[in-house]
Amino acid sequence: MIIDIDRVLGPIPGDDVASADEEGLVAELDRHRIDLACVVRSRALFYDPTDPPPRTVSDRLVPVPVLVPGPLGTGGSAARLVRLCPAEHRFALTGPHCLALAGDLADQGTAVLLGWESATFEGIHRLATRHPGLRLILTGTGYRSLRELADLMDAHPRIGVDTATLNGHRHVEWLVRRYGAHRVWFGTGAPISDDAGPRFQLDHLDLPDADVALIAGGNARDLLELDHEGR
Amino acid sequence: MNDQDAWHGKVIDAHGHLGGWFNFAIPDTSAESLVAVMDRCGVATMCVSHLLGVGPDARAGNALLLAELARWPGRFLGYAVYDPHDPQAPERLRDLLGEPGVIGVKLHPETHGHPLDGPGYEPAFAVAAASGAIVLSHGESGSPWSGPARFATVAGRHPTVPLLMGHAGLWPSGFAAAADVAKRCPNVVLEICGSRMTARHLARLVAAAGADRMVFGSDALFLDLRVGLGRVVLARLDPADRDLLLFGTMTRLLEGAR
Repeated sequence: MIIDIDRVLGPIPGDDVASADEEGLVAELDRHRIDLACVVRSRALFYDPTDPPPRTVSDRLVPVPVLVPGPLGTGGSAARLVRLCPAEHRFALTGPHCLALAGDLADQGTAVLLGWESATFEGIHRLATRHPGLRLILTGTGYRSLRELADLMDAHPRIGVDTATLNGHRHVEWLVRRYGAHRVWFGTGAPISDDAGPRFQLDHLDLPDADVALIAGGNARDLLELDHEGR
Repeated sequence: MNDQDAWHGKVIDAHGHLGGWFNFAIPDTSAESLVAVMDRCGVATMCVSHLLGVGPDARAGNALLLAELARWPGRFLGYAVYDPHDPQAPERLRDLLGEPGVIGVKLHPETHGHPLDGPGYEPAFAVAAASGAIVLSHGESGSPWSGPARFATVAGRHPTVPLLMGHAGLWPSGFAAAADVAKRCPNVVLEICGSRMTARHLARLVAAAGADRMVFGSDALFLDLRVGLGRVVLARLDPADRDLLLFGTMTRLLEGAR
């Protein structure tokens, strides 16, 4: 089973994308042989995160709430996976409100998607130090950040990373061999970033099949508490 | 093997590197690790420059390049890096282009702090024209050194030199300008590597410029070869265009360079 942990549903500013609606997004998943996608609504990213998102219809899409802490925010969520966007939504990742929210999420076992360019190294380090039980999945880390990423992953066992822009030479293999496949998640960041490259990379990893299976969807299935059919 | 896999084993990567780099980690910089990835995903040949040459020391980097070309005949072809600040660079380039496996010249206006159409690179184009060599230059829209307009300028000055615009201008905001230069200048070919490129952008570039005016490049081992290759293989492209990108156009250029 292949699960894209990091995808956006809905129109985005600046481009015409196939995933502007559910039908188009599911067609893209079919084309790339991806079974399920964890999706945030583009409106939550680019319009108003406090606006209640419309419900998804397709059972191939797992909604990922975008949370904003504090009295002007969204409140919490019982979802298994949420996303925080401190830079885009202009809140402090290690401010009192977000630390309180993060504590709640850690207590209920909810994982957090956090964009590399949406937070600082120091902010991530302080958040993970304060809430060592919080599972953080860093997205969009790129190919230039491996040393900083290794610093964080050495210090914080609950920090993982997605493969969306993990596009340095054999970076995925290095991370898996150092930290284990249970800390690496297949994700694309599409349509903001490319889906085809990470999907092809997944099929050509130089790793044992069991590790690839965890990256491809095993980790996500466990997190989302799905069975082998993805239900 | 069906049509969808017809490219496998034939791919020519027009933009690769050997060596390490200063401002990020490449855990394994060995040529062996790169060849292993090439084998894993069906890349026959990679055209490379050495990053020591792109960076601080073109002479030493080019010497390392020659050693690797000798070690991996047929798997790597070489671009000699041209340093516009080296007074002996023209003579050195003439010699290097006579070495086995060296098929072209690599220019990096950003690193060398010299505009692509500046006087420091003119001898490189002259030597390339005389030798029938390919020129690959870093290209970056909005850059003071290597924006698409500078490619049009030097392409017009040296119409017999096949000039690869690295990264097709790098930033999505500049892809249209890059395609426009390729349409206006018959000797400009767009090379497509870059971390901001998507399969969607790629399909639009093919529609705008034509796959016969484009070549596949990965920027490995700077970047993961598999990510760049997958972007082409899984893009919405006609198989004939896909094959031109992956090996057809570069085969034609290499035949012209020999």
